[in-house]
Amino acid sequence: MSRQDATIPFRGDVEIRLRADASSRAPALVFFSTALVWLLFGSIEGTLASLKLHMPELLTSAGWLTFGRVRTAHLNAVNYGWASLASIGVALWIIPRLVHTELRWPRVATAGAVVWNVGLVIGIALILAGRNDGLEWLEMDRYLADPFLVVGGGMAGVTLLATLLARQAGHLYVTVWYTIAAFLWFPVIFVIGNWPTWTGVESAAVNWFYAHNALGLWFTPMGVGAAYYFIPKVLGRPVYSYQLSILGFWTLAFFYALNGMHHLIGGPIPTWMITTSVVASVLMVIPVLAVAVNHHMTMVGRFGALRYSPTLRFVVLGAIAYTAVSLQGSFTSLREVNRVTHFTHWTVAHAHVGVYAFVTMVLFGSMYYIVPRLVRREWPSARLIQWHFWLVLAGIALYIIPLTIAGGFQGLAMLDPAVPFQRSVEVTLWALVSRSVAGVLLTAGHAVFAYHFWLMVRRRGPTREVPPFHEPVPVVYERPEAHA
Amino acid sequence: MLPSSLAVVLTGLGLGVGALAVFAWSWRRGLFDDIPAQADLVFDERDRRLERPWETAEQKAERRRRYGELIAPEPGEWGGAA
Repeated sequence: MSRQDATIPFRGDVEIRLRADASSRAPALVFFSTALVWLLFGSIEGTLASLKLHMPELLTSAGWLTFGRVRTAHLNAVNYGWASLASIGVALWIIPRLVHTELRWPRVATAGAVVWNVGLVIGIALILAGRNDGLEWLEMDRYLADPFLVVGGGMAGVTLLATLLARQAGHLYVTVWYTIAAFLWFPVIFVIGNWPTWTGVESAAVNWFYAHNALGLWFTPMGVGAAYYFIPKVLGRPVYSYQLSILGFWTLAFFYALNGMHHLIGGPIPTWMITTSVVASVLMVIPVLAVAVNHHMTMVGRFGALRYSPTLRFVVLGAIAYTAVSLQGSFTSLREVNRVTHFTHWTVAHAHVGVYAFVTMVLFGSMYYIVPRLVRREWPSARLIQWHFWLVLAGIALYIIPLTIAGGFQGLAMLDPAVPFQRSVEVTLWALVSRSVAGVLLTAGHAVFAYHFWLMVRRRGPTREVPPFHEPVPVVYERPEAHA
Repeated sequence: MLPSSLAVVLTGLGLGVGALAVFAWSWRRGLFDDIPAQADLVFDERDRRLERPWETAEQKAERRRRYGELIAPEPGEWGGAA
């Protein structure tokens, strides 16, 4: 093949990528913008809820400021507002790139973001007004709010499926498996979880089936899929073992759905179900170690890249947290451990390792990479990125470590009949204060990020003669040996 | 005791068996063939030729040998400000 011939397909590669980015620009930006609004709102609500646990007289005059409503609004705002919307935004940007075509029906996806947000506003307003469905992670009104999420999410999912069906790439990268699977799993568990006929024990079982799978079959595949994209992409080297990545995905698909029942250890459901769930939870070690080994070995010899790439810094931190939270989850599912940690702040810390240290960190890193390619500007300030990183890192460390330790002491105190119950509360007080400090730091970090994002969408980033990442001068490519 | 948890049992089994079915279908369709090409899907050619400041001289030489002369990254190339 002549040099000229060899040039053509590689130029095409870059142009396909540029067209894919352009097609997902509007929906991705709408998803990201609204996600950040919910992140700020959820952070304030979370910090307020935390303060109330050691300052119980704080803001008790109005019903909508009481702990039960504020904490629930926080949970729904960060999970369905921030993490879900940002994850969908990342998916809308990554999938067209990986299947080598443009996003199909981008306006439908954008409209989906609007519909989803309408549902969130209704659901969280009702929660603050004192009306919720009374099930953990499923508090939003199943008739007035949830249908909007089903329709809005479905609209985004349909565009992704249509894009997948129109793919030009001959193969499917592992990120595509994770992302598309998440869009197929989530509607199933969300509808099952919200089905109105469950009562009594069955309602509790379905509740934890949903709540655990929301993390494992929605946020986890989104986060792991994004990490599998950005780590090799920034480093410029393929994942250490692609076979291992496939193994990780399929073992997650086979085992995860059965995990949730370990939340009901000691509860009135069949013992065999809980035992099955404990076994499935321990089996999760397989996909987790597959991902951990793969990410680590891909990074080996390139850890210096963390100094240069904020994206990599956030994503690698998130990937480490994924390993930590998953192994912690397998450990906590064991009956002997669970009898101590159940009903304690340990579980709250564990949830934040998952949704924050893992998923949110990966989403931050992803957005640092994606947004400049959407708005065609560079991030205006390296200093703001540094502030964001260190504020959220300090915040989440101050959150997780004290609360995990205090949760252990709390559980041991509750199990000791000689210890008054009041003592089990007192041993956690220092950690509750630490959590409030953490909440302030995290909220400050989010405000920095939201301000920086605002500068980006207002096009305040450095202007250049040509948009960044668009190859300002023609490059003559040579066919690499690997493709010969 | 089964009826009290039927929804969870059936849905859990459905998701697991469904995954197994998709896996088998994908295998037959050849979606796991040519693993190296799948691993490379994440890159376009420009990615391979970008000069990465954190790489050692040996790593850069290897990249140059495999993909040709390296091109300079643009500011903010790695996902952040310059």
